[in-house]
Amino acid sequence: MTLRALLLTAIVAAGLGEGRTLVAQTAQPAPITPVDEVRQTVAEARKEMDAHKTASGAPGAPDHPAVKWDAALWAYHDKYPRTDAAAIGAAEAVRALGRAELWDRAQARVAALDFEDPAWSRVAAVVYEQGIARKDLPSAIATLTRAAERTSDASIRSSVLLVLGRAHRRQGDAAEATRTLEAAKAAAQGTPVAEAADGLIYEIKYLSIGLPAPSISGKPRNARRAVTLESFRGTPIVIVFWGST
Amino acid sequence: MEEVPLLKALHTKYANQAVILGISIDTDLKRTDRTIKEKGMAWPVLADGKGFDGAIPKAYHIQGTPDIWVLDRAGKILARPGSAKQIDAILGEALAPRGPGDL
Repeated sequence: MTLRALLLTAIVAAGLGEGRTLVAQTAQPAPITPVDEVRQTVAEARKEMDAHKTASGAPGAPDHPAVKWDAALWAYHDKYPRTDAAAIGAAEAVRALGRAELWDRAQARVAALDFEDPAWSRVAAVVYEQGIARKDLPSAIATLTRAAERTSDASIRSSVLLVLGRAHRRQGDAAEATRTLEAAKAAAQGTPVAEAADGLIYEIKYLSIGLPAPSISGKPRNARRAVTLESFRGTPIVIVFWGST
Repeated sequence: MEEVPLLKALHTKYANQAVILGISIDTDLKRTDRTIKEKGMAWPVLADGKGFDGAIPKAYHIQGTPDIWVLDRAGKILARPGSAKQIDAILGEALAPRGPGDL
């Protein structure tokens, strides 16, 4: 018997000697999943970057903590390839670089993604966010359009098209947004992406700025007479949807 | 619900010029009635007890609260302020004297 085996035997014996309750009480928690692992790193990264910001650390600096966290997060993309953990790692790495305003690095990360990489379904939203942050939606739209065109994976295409539809809408191009969202829907029948696309198509059609508001009528809980939007015509109306807390 | 004091101030400031309309997504109408009283909401509040599945929240695609919409004099959607703090400025604009073209 080796020393190691002897030691193990001794530990096991000691454990048994102390009774089963102890074993039950100190039972190992379920092993953490890759997604949990990435999320933990994301939380740590956020904390440190928040602290950096509070300490008035400047963005754009090469010593920004985002550089370190980008590397740590992107590592999950290689460690758990083609999984949701990889997608979260990639998306959060790009997001971290964006927080530091290290746009070239962020763009390089996105450019390195293969068009068949499922990480696109999460990275697309970050590309859009950063397009807004940099006041350069057209370049985000170009990146997303290319990804949607090049990928052969219907699930990646639909997720990217959903984000692209939002981007077109934000650019004020309702017609292109609707076309894009219809394409997202067609590529993802019966999935949450199709449902989200459907919702946005409805919002563009019926709830855009400048359209007549959907009609409202009913008897208020706190007034005798029924109200309708028409009854207030000629007066601006503030509608507040709320819930008791 | 922290927007209620702001809404009260607006309700007073724009008493004869603008309307506030509350729509509760509560599923318990007794709770709605209690909140209206406790918070002192003096503007009309509609509620059907169906939560987000009620006809009005559905038509407006409401997914969370608070969600604020401002309509212009013609009943068209003018703005979707992200916070109650923005309402004052939006109403100021909505109530700006009409141009000669509108007379």
